[in-house]
Amino acid sequence: MIRAPLSTTSVLDESAAVVRATVSPWAALLLATSIPYRFMQIVFADRLLELGSSASQYGNLLRTTADITCAAFLLSLIGRAVYARACRLASQSGAAPGPEALRVPLTALAGYVFVASIAEAVTYLLFITGLGIAVGAILSGMAIGTMELNTEPGIRGPLRRLARYGGNSRIVVALALVFFCAFVVALLNVATLVSVIFSLASTVGGWDAARWHMLLSIHNRRYVLMIIAGALLVIEPFWIAANVLLVRKAGAAETGDDLRVWFEELQRS
Amino acid sequence: MNEAMNRAAARRCAVHQQRPAFAVCMQCAKTLCQECATQWDGIWYCAACLSTRRAAPAAKSRVGGWIAVIAASLLILFLSTRFMVWTGVLLAGLR
Repeated sequence: MIRAPLSTTSVLDESAAVVRATVSPWAALLLATSIPYRFMQIVFADRLLELGSSASQYGNLLRTTADITCAAFLLSLIGRAVYARACRLASQSGAAPGPEALRVPLTALAGYVFVASIAEAVTYLLFITGLGIAVGAILSGMAIGTMELNTEPGIRGPLRRLARYGGNSRIVVALALVFFCAFVVALLNVATLVSVIFSLASTVGGWDAARWHMLLSIHNRRYVLMIIAGALLVIEPFWIAANVLLVRKAGAAETGDDLRVWFEELQRS
Repeated sequence: MNEAMNRAAARRCAVHQQRPAFAVCMQCAKTLCQECATQWDGIWYCAACLSTRRAAPAAKSRVGGWIAVIAASLLILFLSTRFMVWTGVLLAGLR
C-alpha cells in the first residue's frame, strides 16, 4: 500500500485509506480504551478550575485523580498499540486486518509504554510554556509509529529509533500543524453535532430544552472540556495511522523497498 | 613417551571419525578436529558449547533490558503524575 515517496501529502493520503480499512472494529477498540483517559483528564482539569487558587490545599485529591488518570493512560496505550498494529497490517495487505492485530509483541508494547511515558511527562513539564502539548504530541506520535520496531527489551533501543525517525523533522512538524488544524475543525464539528442532536431531541415532548440549552453553552466549562476531549478522540485514529505510515515510508525509503514496489508496479503496467 | 604419542595420535574427532583429534572441548571434553574446534578467550570449545556460551549473555541482557524498561517506565509514570499535579496547581494559582 506504499504508493508514493515520503512526503506529508502522501502520508496523509495513505493514512485516510488505512483508517477506512481499520474503522471496524479496531478504531472502535481505540475509542473504547481512550475514553476513560480523556474522561479522567476532564475530571482533573475541572477540579483544578473549580479549586482555583486554593488548589494547593487539595494535594491528596489532585494526586489521587492524577493516579487514576495515569492508570487510564496505561489502558489507552494498550488500545493505541493494538490500533497501530492494525494500521501496519492494513498498510501491508491493503485489507482490513483480522484478530492478528491483537497479538502485539510484549517487547514492542514495553518499549512503547516507556517512550509514551516520557512524552506524557514532557507534556506536563512543559505545559506552562505553551510548548508542552505540541512537543508531547510529536513525541507520542513518533513513539506509536516506531512501536513495532522494538524487538528487544531495553531503554536505549526505543530512544534511538525515536531519534532516527524524528530526523524527518520537516514532515513531522508539518503533520503536527495539519493535525492542529484538524483538531480545530473536529472541535467545531463535534460542537455542531451535539447542538444538532439536542435541537432534534427538543422536538420530542417532555424535553426540558431550556435546561439543556444552559448546560450545552460555551459558558459551561464542563461542556467545553467535553467538546475538546471529543475532538481529540475523533482525530486520534488519523494521528496514529499517519505516524505509523510515516515511519513505514521512512523505513521503506532507507531500505529501497519503495523503489522495489515502484519497479514492480512499473513492470505490471 | 612413544606410547603416549601413539595414544594421542589414535584419538579421533567426535564428529568426523576419519580425522585425527586436534583439541579437546573444555566444556564437554569431546575430542575435536581442526575444523570443529574454535578458540574463544584462549580456550577450545566445540560448536554446541560455544553457542550455549554465546547465548548466555544475550539471555542475561534480555532480563536486564526487561528490568530496565519496566523500572524506567514506572519511574517516569510516577513523575508524570507529579508533574501533572504541580503544573495544574501552578496554573490554577495563576488564575
